[in-house]
Amino acid sequence: MKKYIFLTLFLPLTLLAHRTIAVSYPYIGAITKSIGGEHINTVVLAKGNWDPHFVVPRPSLISKVRNADALIMNGAQLEIGWLPPLINRAANPKTQPNAKSFLNLSQHIKLLHKPQSVDRSGGDVHPDGNPHFHLDPNNILVLAQTIKEFLISLDSKHASIYEQNFAAFKSDWEKKLTVWKEKMRLNKNKKVIQFHDNLAYFNNCYGLQSLGTIESLPGIPPSSRHTLYLIKLIKEQKPGYILHDVYHSTKTAEYIADKTGIKVVLMPHDIGALETIDDLSSLFDYLTSAIK
Amino acid sequence: MKKLLLSTLCATMAFSADVLPVENRTFEQSKFIPDISLIMDASYVNRDIEDDELAHLEVPGVAHGLLGTHDHDDSSHATYNAENGFNLNYAELVLSSSVDPFFTMDGVFHFSPNGVEIEELYFTSTALGDGLRAKGGKFNSNFGYLNEQHHHSWSFNDMPLVYEAFLGMHGINETGLQLQWTAPTDTYIMLGVEVLQGENEQMFGNGSIHLSELNATNSDIDSESAPSLFIAYAKTSFDIDRTTILAGLSFASGSSRLDHSEDEESPHAFSGDSKLYGADLVIKHYFDSYSSLTWQSEWLYRDMDGTMYEDFSATTPTLTPTTKKQAGLYTQLVYTYDKSWKVGARYDTIYKNDISNSDAFAPNNMDKYSAMIEYNTSEFARFRLQYNHNRALYEDDVQQDLNTIILSANISIGAHGAHSF
Repeated sequence: MKKYIFLTLFLPLTLLAHRTIAVSYPYIGAITKSIGGEHINTVVLAKGNWDPHFVVPRPSLISKVRNADALIMNGAQLEIGWLPPLINRAANPKTQPNAKSFLNLSQHIKLLHKPQSVDRSGGDVHPDGNPHFHLDPNNILVLAQTIKEFLISLDSKHASIYEQNFAAFKSDWEKKLTVWKEKMRLNKNKKVIQFHDNLAYFNNCYGLQSLGTIESLPGIPPSSRHTLYLIKLIKEQKPGYILHDVYHSTKTAEYIADKTGIKVVLMPHDIGALETIDDLSSLFDYLTSAIK
Repeated sequence: MKKLLLSTLCATMAFSADVLPVENRTFEQSKFIPDISLIMDASYVNRDIEDDELAHLEVPGVAHGLLGTHDHDDSSHATYNAENGFNLNYAELVLSSSVDPFFTMDGVFHFSPNGVEIEELYFTSTALGDGLRAKGGKFNSNFGYLNEQHHHSWSFNDMPLVYEAFLGMHGINETGLQLQWTAPTDTYIMLGVEVLQGENEQMFGNGSIHLSELNATNSDIDSESAPSLFIAYAKTSFDIDRTTILAGLSFASGSSRLDHSEDEESPHAFSGDSKLYGADLVIKHYFDSYSSLTWQSEWLYRDMDGTMYEDFSATTPTLTPTTKKQAGLYTQLVYTYDKSWKVGARYDTIYKNDISNSDAFAPNNMDKYSAMIEYNTSEFARFRLQYNHNRALYEDDVQQDLNTIILSANISIGAHGAHSF
């Protein structure tokens, strides 16, 4: 009996022996889990099937940040609308933006489309550039290396394990990169339309040419004038696909498809965006198979 | 006060002016400019009661002068959406930044046609750890749910009746200290305590009341030692699939020195102790990233116990031992259709109004109904049409129906931090 009481008392402590890392999005959780293995416990804040810009700062997330030993975020202002109030309420010194245990991934990636001028008349612009960089599978390797170094800086005792896990992740990922590249070879220079420019890095990686977006400006709902313009553009330039995210309504895209015959393809942006996307590989397997 | 703010403004403007390229200025500090935002709130109001008459209406036994504009001495005091026609309610200037590795600081300044007010000015700790967070300065108390939020993030243009009647249009907005602790559990549990100066105009106060100025034979009511308002609350929240539930219990206790001795209509003063109990419940269900249904309710109960001073023209004022036990609630449902559209309805009531003083007129069925529809062109601009049917206002003990239409614009520019849940 005594033994059980002892066990229950100390069970929480043994759980705490693992470092708990809160991460903003599922893809970061997956990379962190791959590198951290059994020494790291990851807690994902946002859901993969919802708009990454609009996460409700639910109080339950405050507890997750409060109990974390470190925080990894995407950055480039993707979390600006929801993470700051959580960090503020959680009041955890380990998750303050300038703490050693806080990692902003965007600072380790070369961002595309940094705007020349920043003004809200241009819609919801991200001043540092397009924040959806994880959709270039080559960037995943850079991010994995960044996260590996971050984990070592937090927990040098297990450095060799993190190095090993990273090496295994890298060799596996490089093989997949070759497969995806081969799959996408014939799609080079194909023209596409998007809802929001969240595939900028994917398009850039595989040479897809994005002609425009269904929203007239970032974060501004589609207008009928802009839709008519797009229909005209599609008729002239003949792009093959509307690459559509899973969280906006496809109503406008279907209307455009109806008028022009263009195909609407759902493009998951993160793990969990569609039910079948349960890890990083299946995300890119899906994305690279979507355009045929 | 005005001068101070103007100079702050000038200084920030001078800093941000890009005269020389940044790299050419040796002691350039522009990178340290705090986040600055400016929010305007303006409205068009149409009421079926004249402005002059409106200011005289009261919630009997609870509050008077809730709506409209009032003149005190030389200054004029207006509530939001006070007048028929156009109203410029406020310009809210918000500055926030980290101070050093240990604190952040936030300042919220209200500019209105009546002057400038420091709505909030506080520092918050970031380095305590163990779930502890301390705040000091002037701030909105975290009592209940709505009290901490700023006017621009409310779902309706006006405060719920029970809040406004018990605590006034600023709610519990005081100078003092706050300490909050978030428990190390998976379920969100937060406990907080606040020690505040205690100068709420409707319910709490500690200053002496100089009745002798009205009549030499009167003796003054002595002041109570300050700080005199103590608040404690517990909040918890959890998610069930796509639904978030947030519930809280709050308690406030403080001394009440309420000086209405110079009012034109039935001058009086109250000296005693008051307790305020609150319970709040917010249930939010999400349909997708942009669409949700939120049910928000708060219940307030107050217990005031003291002495009522009246009839100052007599040789000695009438002193009546008075207890007030009053309770009310609001409950509102807001449906967010998408990023642009929201509709909502609210029901307000004060249903308990027990005053020990037997000749006091104290109805206990005072209601208010509100409905609104709003359109947001973006997160930064909101236009809202609201209709109120208010059955809680009385003139000379006769209930007056008040119908109000408010069309408001709330526009913000600059860097404004995201709001918490």
